[in-house]
Parts: sequence; structure tokens; C-alpha cells
Amino acid sequence: MEHYPKLERFEQPNVITTTADLVFNWARSRSIFPFTYGLACCAIEMLSSGFARFDIARFGWEVFRPTPRQCDLMIVAGTVNEKMAPVLKRLYDQMSEPKWVISMGACATSGGPFYDGYNVVNGVDKIVPVDVYIPGCPPRPEALFQGILELQKKIQQMSFVAPRIDDADERVATTPAEKQGRGA
Amino acid sequence: MSIAIGAVKLAIDDLGARLGAELGADLADLRVQEPDTLVARVDRRRLRAVAAQLKGLAEIAYDSCNFVAAVDHVTHLETVYHLYSYATNSYIELHVEIDRDNPVCDTICDLYPAADWHEREAWDMMGVRFDGHPDLRRILLKDDWIGHPLRKDYVDLLENHPNV
Repeated sequence: MEHYPKLERFEQPNVITTTADLVFNWARSRSIFPFTYGLACCAIEMLSSGFARFDIARFGWEVFRPTPRQCDLMIVAGTVNEKMAPVLKRLYDQMSEPKWVISMGACATSGGPFYDGYNVVNGVDKIVPVDVYIPGCPPRPEALFQGILELQKKIQQMSFVAPRIDDADERVATTPAEKQGRGA
Repeated sequence: MSIAIGAVKLAIDDLGARLGAELGADLADLRVQEPDTLVARVDRRRLRAVAAQLKGLAEIAYDSCNFVAAVDHVTHLETVYHLYSYATNSYIELHVEIDRDNPVCDTICDLYPAADWHEREAWDMMGVRFDGHPDLRRILLKDDWIGHPLRKDYVDLLENHPNV
């Protein structure tokens, strides 16, 4: 180790002080495990963002999991229909905290081109709370990356010592249906 | 067994003439619609007999069901069967008129297993009940959906959208 330049303060065994939040948020925001939730053509963009050309692994988000138990980010990529809605809600509930949701593309955000469809849920935020909305039809992989980068910033604002809005207690019952007491 | 597609060389007019001779009474308004497609109207009560006969024809058997459609003509409903013959590489369309107020039609999914899910979809979207179908459930919509959305007079109910 002699040939490395030494910082003065590290010449002796030392202690670095920081907040627990910072350490946890740093770890959480940089090891996001996305949940493979491709429902339509947005899923194609989500897949291509995983391959070499766009390479989501540059950011450390490449570990897509097919089970909600191992995930902390649900990327809803595509049109949510009425038959899928209860399944999506259930899978979201099966993810362990802390967990986040990205609404990818026009369909997941608002129903998009299928807004008036008889079987379309007009926005996944009617079922689960959404952290980041990504516009586009479909959004390019770069847009997905920007969305996850925005989510990283959001994660770094979190505090498990003093949970604020968006943290565990608040985020459970924030769908419109639940606010009206109709259940979901 | 391999099937030589189009092995039987038969002009579509000759094919129509042969079908007319074999099933003449059952195929009303038999005509050539496209170079490889014949069209005919079939009575609802004769559908199964006609389908079975078409499937069993020597040499030119219509041995494949490509599609079952349902059409809402407002005055009545109609189911359309697209049958395909590998041997002659040609199609026949069977149009079956059914009552709109009592939309019942015989199933052909025991003759053509491929028709199973098509008939379920016709039930789901148009409300056509297929007599004899072994498992006539909705296929695309939720099990408790109210109404059949591709009917012209369909009215969407709030009950179908619990999350709105």
C-alpha cells in the first residue's frame, strides 16, 4: 500500500460519521430491483433498455425479477385493463416495503389512446400509488432511465427514522377507491 | 401424415359446383367471393350437419376452422365460420343468421376444437350462446362483467369499473 498517496486523516484508524438515512437511501437508490410488469408495447422499450444498446446495467437496475417478493420497483409498462387490475393490485401488495411504482407511458398514466375503452383502467394510479410518471407512447429507453433517475432522487429524500408522506403509512391507502371507502 | 397444401388443383368455380352438388340444399346463395373463398348462408339448425359434412368431404375436406366471428346487424345477429381446406388451399365462409333476442347457436367445437375459444369470445363480446359448448365462460373480460360490449346497444355500467 506504500505507493498510494495517503490522505492525512486516514493515516490512523478512523471513523466516518453520517446519517443512517443517507447510507440506507444510498444503497436503496442504487440497487433497484425492477419487477417485470410489461403489459403492452411499452414492455418492448423496457426490454430493449435492458439489452446492450441502452444497457440499464450502467445504472445498476438490471436485475429484473419475475416475482414481486424480490422487487422494490414496479414498472407498469402498458395498458392496464379491468381484468388485470385486481392482479396488479395483488402483486403490488406482495412486494415488500419499501417499494415504488413507475407508470411508464400514456396508457399506464391515463389510459392513453384507449381512454374510452370499455375494458381500460384510466391510469394505474387508480389502483396503486405512483411515484414517477413517464410520458410517451411508448417512451424511449432514455426516458425510462430519466424516470428512474428521478425516482433515485426521490428515494434519497426518504427517511425511515421520520417517515413522511410517500413513506409506509401514507402510501398504503391512497388510491381514490380506497379514499372513498369502496376498497380495491 | 404430411398435408400437401393445395395438392388438389381445382378451380374455385368447379369447387363451388361440387359443393353445390353435394350440399346444395344447405348452402344458400353459394358464391365466389375471392379467388380462394366461397361464401354461403346456412340455416342455424343445419349448421352442425353442414360443418360435419364439409369436414368429411373426400379429397377437399374443409379440415380446419380458422375463425368464428359474430356480427351485430342490429336487426339480427350473425355468426361467421371461416373454414379452410388444406387440400385445395381455399376457404369457405358460412354465415349463420341468429335471433337477436334469443341468440342461440349450436357449437361446432366438438368438430373443430379450434372453435372453442372463438366461441367463448363471441359469447363474451356479443352474447351469443353456443348450445353444447363444454365451457362457455367469458374469455377476455372479467367473469362478473355486465353486458356484452361489442353489441350495438351496449351500455357501459359503473359496476364494471370498480376502480374509477
